[in-house]
Amino acid sequence: MARSIFWISTVLCLAFLALPLLLVLPLAFNTSSFLTYPMEGFTFAWFGEVFGQPSWTKAIWNSVKVAAGAMALAVLIGGLAATGVTLTGRVLQMVLSALFVSPVVVPSIVVAVAFAYAFGRAGLSGSYASLVLAHAILGAPLVFLSVLTSLRGLDPDLDRAAASMGASRLHRFRHVTLPLAAPGFLAGALFAFITSFDEVVVALFLAAPESTTLPIALFSGLRDRLQPTIVVVALLLSLVSLLFLLAMGQMQKRGAAASRN
Amino acid sequence: MSFIEIQSVNKHYGAVQALYDVSLSIAKGEFVTLLGPSGSGKTTLLKILAGFDPVTSGTIRMAGRDITSVPPERRNFGLVFQGYALFPHMTVADNIAYPLKVRRRPRGEIAEQVRAMLDLVQLGKFANRKPQELSGGQQQRVALARALVFRPDLLLLDEPMSALDKKLRFDLQEELRDIHRRLGTTFINVTHDQEEAMHMSDSIAVMNHGQIEQFGPAFTLYRQPANRFVAGFVGKSNLLEGRIAQGRFQAGDIVLSLPGAAAEGRVALMLRPEDVELAQAPVEGGKAALPAEVVSATYTGDRAIYTAAVGPEARFLVYGSARTGLIPEGSRVHLAFDPQDCLLLR
Ligand SMILES: Nc1ncnc2c1ncn2[C@@H]1O[C@H](COP(=O)(O)OP(=O)(O)O)[C@@H](O)[C@H]1O
Ligand SMILES: [Mg+2]
Repeated sequence: MARSIFWISTVLCLAFLALPLLLVLPLAFNTSSFLTYPMEGFTFAWFGEVFGQPSWTKAIWNSVKVAAGAMALAVLIGGLAATGVTLTGRVLQMVLSALFVSPVVVPSIVVAVAFAYAFGRAGLSGSYASLVLAHAILGAPLVFLSVLTSLRGLDPDLDRAAASMGASRLHRFRHVTLPLAAPGFLAGALFAFITSFDEVVVALFLAAPESTTLPIALFSGLRDRLQPTIVVVALLLSLVSLLFLLAMGQMQKRGAAASRN
Repeated sequence: MSFIEIQSVNKHYGAVQALYDVSLSIAKGEFVTLLGPSGSGKTTLLKILAGFDPVTSGTIRMAGRDITSVPPERRNFGLVFQGYALFPHMTVADNIAYPLKVRRRPRGEIAEQVRAMLDLVQLGKFANRKPQELSGGQQQRVALARALVFRPDLLLLDEPMSALDKKLRFDLQEELRDIHRRLGTTFINVTHDQEEAMHMSDSIAVMNHGQIEQFGPAFTLYRQPANRFVAGFVGKSNLLEGRIAQGRFQAGDIVLSLPGAAAEGRVALMLRPEDVELAQAPVEGGKAALPAEVVSATYTGDRAIYTAAVGPEARFLVYGSARTGLIPEGSRVHLAFDPQDCLLLR
């Protein structure tokens, strides 16, 4: 009985979550230029098309650049914030945590409008810098939470032990806290990267034609011409996300193993 | 001439007072144990000594210098934590080298001292293992090596044996005592295990409810406990509640003439179980005797343990010889003891 419920719910959930994706993805290999079934043949031609078209490669490259920049900035901001917060008292810790996490809970359209307005006033609109900044602000809370979790999991006696051996606060942070919280930083970094990599709403408001990111290109591609190239791009995006998720899973496993000891 | 001087230290955690007017003088090279039940303030006192927690009032001096507000990283005290707090991302050798690296000692010197320390705690073979690949006893020795390698002025140990099994504990106690003798560093150990305290320490501070009840060598604590708590906590003891009247101790039907029974009032008579004998007849010269009945008799091989009832309420624990077998339960006997061995506690 319990087993059958388990299998029914698992299958239903998987179907619900993955079926739409699985239905579309084979069309990336279809020889027909229409997005329809039945498939007429198998080809990698559309992949060639995507990598051959400057509009797609430029968008891919833009996305990678923006995501990498946003990730670096988010790790810096979120990591510092989490480290600082652990040094404060309990009440201040709660207030600060709520503040740092707030970009996640505000609707993205609101955030997007705010960014567009603010960067417009600052004369930054359309630039890489504006996209990197905006995505960093969206990614920082994820880094913050992930780093905070791994810092809280550390045995406070480790820091005390290092202090008793004469290590300054900076030395302790550099040689004890940081290496042990590294899985948290890495997971946060991956989160931040992927958040930026498939972010649409804010990018839609901020990106100029020359700084267009992949999701935006995909979006306009959908409106212009429905072609298997779009599915190819979607497939690539999903693959990147999947890879990062797997990496994160590995990281968490290692982090758990480290904090168990 | 005392080396560590704790003067009238009080510690509050919000509304909770964890230490009450604690004062303690520790000589250089001494092995002192803070002994007390859970919650008696041992860890609190250790944290204050290490510099992790500020005192509410009072001073700590080392060699005459006031160190009350010196931060832990500048105290030069070694610490062994209850959970060892070994760095999981470093090998055993790197753990032990850490305090030397902090002090920017030359590479060659670090390697040499780490090796010497590994030899001292007999872990030479495990230098390149991670701490989590060692047994509890081995981890404890790594923690000890790491806390001693930089020649601290004082070594603090917070219940270092509590996570180990009994046999291992005994061996490590021997080893710790041996290391203490060889290095001559001042040790302050914390435990709730009175056997451990007596086994290792030069002096023991018995703590209860945030206060030091008595400070002295094991012999003094055992033979001359200052009060009922110490008498009950250090070793087994028989306590008979009664009062002094007309120079004699009285408890119900029991009346005893005792030396030192001068001041009138309520007292407890304390008698150690090994100071009492079960005698078949009301005995020989100089000894007091109380008629009693054997309530339970246990044979442990090295001795016989009896519980004897004196009157309706008082129960006496008695250690007897087991060479001739047990005196059966229900036997009518006499508890014989030397009045000199009795102690009156207020
Ligand atoms: N950080 C703290 N906050 C509040 N109360 C504390 C804190 N640390 C210890 N106490 C209290 O102080 C008392 C002594 O604790 P502790 O020193 O840990 O005892 P022990 O080590 O002898 O078991 C206990 O009543 C404990 O609840
Ligand atoms: Mg404790």
